[in-house]
Amino acid sequence: MSLILDHVSYSYDVGTSYKQEALKDINIVIPDGQFVGLIGHTGSGKSTLIQLLNGLLKPTSGNIYYNGQDINDSDYDRKTLRSKVGLVFQYPEHQLFEENVFKDVCFGPKNLGLDEKEVNLRAYDALEKVKLSHDYFYQSPFDLSGGQKRRVAIAGILAMKPEVFILDEPTAGLDPKGSEEILTLIKNLQKDTGMTVILVSHNMEDVASYVDRILVMNKGELKMDGSPKDVFKKTEELSNMGLRAPEVTYIVRELRKKGFPVDDSAITVSEAKETILNALYHKILNE
Amino acid sequence: MSKIVEIKKLLFDYIRRDEEGNVEGITTAVDNVSLTISQGDFVAILGHNGSGKSTLAKHLNAILYPTEGTVLVDGKDTSEEDNIWEVRQAASMVFQNPDNQIIGQIVEEDVGFGPENLGVPTPMIWERVEKALKAVNMYQFRSKSPNRLSGGQKQRVSIAGVLAMQPKCIVLDEPTAMLDPSGREEVIEAIRELNKKENITIILITHNMEETIYADKIYVMDEGKIAMEGTPREIFSEVEKLKSLRLNVPQATMLAYELKKAGVPLPDGILTKEELICHLS
Repeated sequence: MSLILDHVSYSYDVGTSYKQEALKDINIVIPDGQFVGLIGHTGSGKSTLIQLLNGLLKPTSGNIYYNGQDINDSDYDRKTLRSKVGLVFQYPEHQLFEENVFKDVCFGPKNLGLDEKEVNLRAYDALEKVKLSHDYFYQSPFDLSGGQKRRVAIAGILAMKPEVFILDEPTAGLDPKGSEEILTLIKNLQKDTGMTVILVSHNMEDVASYVDRILVMNKGELKMDGSPKDVFKKTEELSNMGLRAPEVTYIVRELRKKGFPVDDSAITVSEAKETILNALYHKILNE
Repeated sequence: MSKIVEIKKLLFDYIRRDEEGNVEGITTAVDNVSLTISQGDFVAILGHNGSGKSTLAKHLNAILYPTEGTVLVDGKDTSEEDNIWEVRQAASMVFQNPDNQIIGQIVEEDVGFGPENLGVPTPMIWERVEKALKAVNMYQFRSKSPNRLSGGQKQRVSIAGVLAMQPKCIVLDEPTAMLDPSGREEVIEAIRELNKKENITIILITHNMEETIYADKIYVMDEGKIAMEGTPREIFSEVEKLKSLRLNVPQATMLAYELKKAGVPLPDGILTKEELICHLS
């Protein structure tokens, strides 16, 4: 049970003079339950990749397998795919439209053809999961704050019970606390339900603290695939691709260069704190 | 130094009405705010979603008018209709999404749109376009289609577009929220250059704490009021207070704060990695 991309390429406007190769020979295996971060500068192919995963685009060549089945086979059920691989677009709150929050969340499961009772149960459950207070259930989604609207939009996808949950910059435009709340929520959902999460983000600090694995895209190619520590070690390569490591990584590396005995693989504030305190402690002992 | 923005006891209510036009509810988005910004200042406004910062910003460009109080931009009262064009020329706005702000088929045409509308003679439009594009380091892209640019490049074209109107003040409402790290850097660098070299007043609204460390002054808004004001060093010394306002501090500041709590002798309000490294080694 997994998501496999086998030699996948994709070009826009094939057969015209505007043809543009957006993805070149991508090979990825994502096992169940992994929290994957997808990074890359604007135009690196991230959005094309996630649209391929949920069947919105079809590869120009290569195959995508979900649970052992080629999702682009003529007899494959696309509707089921879209309920199993849920995609939350950027600024998903722009897609809210119903007269109240609860109805909006019902829209997805209703379209799956489920009976009313099941639809209501799922909507209720999804809104509970995103921790939206009951007071808001029958309010217009347009009267909510930015962070609340985003929760409703995320609940709308959760109500389809996806096994793979893809989010395109879910924290863009949210204040720091709001971002943290959304990411913690997603992390907990991944841990509790065992679903796979693919997070597209421009925020390296977020990626460093939440994901198990990072995929780095550049000019349509998969350039790196590894643990956050492995990827953020390669600061120079990242910088050539218009990306960077978290700020603390540069701090520990610089300290190390100055002869400070710190572990320079730290990528979060707490890791950096730990290793700097250790180094200071040893320095005092030696003096 | 002359005052470019003077806000006196500004109060703004959003009024929600039902289908018949009866008032359903009133939300006070800006609540009795007074502040003064001098020409050439770089000011950052922080605040959580819904704290009133965007509503405040929209008053500087006469998109919104005060319910109570006054807003003077370059000495002109924004609530007087006759002043509206002068106000908008003095203070221009750049928004979050570059795709909503670019209209031209090619870059230089887009940048020329503003001055053309102001009735600037054609030869001078070209002069302004050239100068504006050079100021944001986008001159080499002048004959490209905006569609083919990256987010950071598009946002710099948007800035050139307002620059060509020769404003005294540019208000930027989360200009980097949709950009990747290098796009962010490009835009912030362009803004700082304009502030230093052209002495243009910058008012930057953002959720990204790192972007504000070069500001002369930071205002933090909460529930429509100014909750904190001071230099970046003063503001970022108050980690706990910022957190209670749903904000954060730059990562270098956070690390320094955590180390200090653990007993390492460090000063408050360290802003950059260079400072922290310097203090530790």
